[in-house]
Amino acid sequence: MTKRLAQIGLSLYPLAFRRRYGEEMRELLEKRPATFLTVLDVWRGALLAHVRPPAGIAEQLDPVDRVRASASGVLACWVAFAAAGAWFANTTEDGPFSVAGYRHILLSGSHEIVQVLAIAASLLVLAGAAPLVVAALAEARRRPALRLIVSLPPLAVLLFAGLTGLLAALAHGEHSQGPGTLGGLALIAWALAGLACGAVCVVASRRALFAAHVSRGPLLRAYACGTLLTAAMAMITLAVCLYAIALMVDSAHLAASANGPLQLISTSASLIVQMTVMAGATVLAWTSTGRGWNAAWQLRA
Amino acid sequence: MRSIGERSTDPGLLVLTSLAEGPKHGYAITLDVEGLAGVRLGPGTLYGALSRLEGQGLIEALPAEDRRRPYRLTGEGRTALSEHLQMLERVTHSGLVRLRAAGATS
Repeated sequence: MTKRLAQIGLSLYPLAFRRRYGEEMRELLEKRPATFLTVLDVWRGALLAHVRPPAGIAEQLDPVDRVRASASGVLACWVAFAAAGAWFANTTEDGPFSVAGYRHILLSGSHEIVQVLAIAASLLVLAGAAPLVVAALAEARRRPALRLIVSLPPLAVLLFAGLTGLLAALAHGEHSQGPGTLGGLALIAWALAGLACGAVCVVASRRALFAAHVSRGPLLRAYACGTLLTAAMAMITLAVCLYAIALMVDSAHLAASANGPLQLISTSASLIVQMTVMAGATVLAWTSTGRGWNAAWQLRA
Repeated sequence: MRSIGERSTDPGLLVLTSLAEGPKHGYAITLDVEGLAGVRLGPGTLYGALSRLEGQGLIEALPAEDRRRPYRLTGEGRTALSEHLQMLERVTHSGLVRLRAAGATS
């Protein structure tokens, strides 16, 4: 179990690091028994390799792969960001929040900005990903090995849609019988399933992106969309911060009201967690975009 | 002088010290460091240090042998290690002298 966890940790290292040291690290892991401390050491190393990459490591990759890594990194950040965004939408969709919005322009304004930017960000994801998906699908017709990878994201989305329908049916039954903990637990299970499906989408699309031959144009367009997406994520995070501040100042009773699947935390605590996830995802997306910048210029030249 | 590490158990310093007697691959370095300083370097720490030292030009990789890749000190690495160890030796010597002097007067 610990060995498996350590090997998963290896796959979390940046691509350039894995290409350079991955095989040696794998060999070392096979030579020595993996303890819980080994797992922690590998996972910590992966985090540090992302935050403080060693000098010259990026040059291990050619510019095309660097732009691929950058685009898929931004997509992974967007999935985490979207999960926090969905929670924000769920937190603020009830009637009392709409009523509070009518009274305070900052609340309604920031909420609308979040919605508009979320739509724009989703369109950017589609615009950036669509040409890459088309290229991967075209290649999957010729390469059977790629078919499984390409079919995983739609399967994960379908599974999640099915689970969402199931949850909606359960929520309907709960409303008729009064609220209970079953609905809350189902919501937690649904959220975890959503994260798992999101992870499958990210990993499979990354593998497909690296396996398929993608020409320079679509790759650069995906990078440009990723850059704009990162900017949209930053603006959404700011708007959510503004919303949270306005809610805490103007509608303290709403900010203090119970929130979350089991009503265990307050709305303000929920908003703080959401903002933290959004800010973290934005910073990582920004880092990923920044690292692909030189490679994108090299490709453009 | 390039910064190798702040502590005597710094992975970078331990790796350089291990490589001072000749080229070694990752597994051999961990065994040597364990015998040398009683510190067990995990794969993340070891390859974090190796990548950093390689990026600084203090060590270099030799051609791979199967899945292993031996590393050796560069000239710059040898100089940096030597300067760092001399500095540590001065500190150690001064510390011991001061401790002895304090012990004699107390």
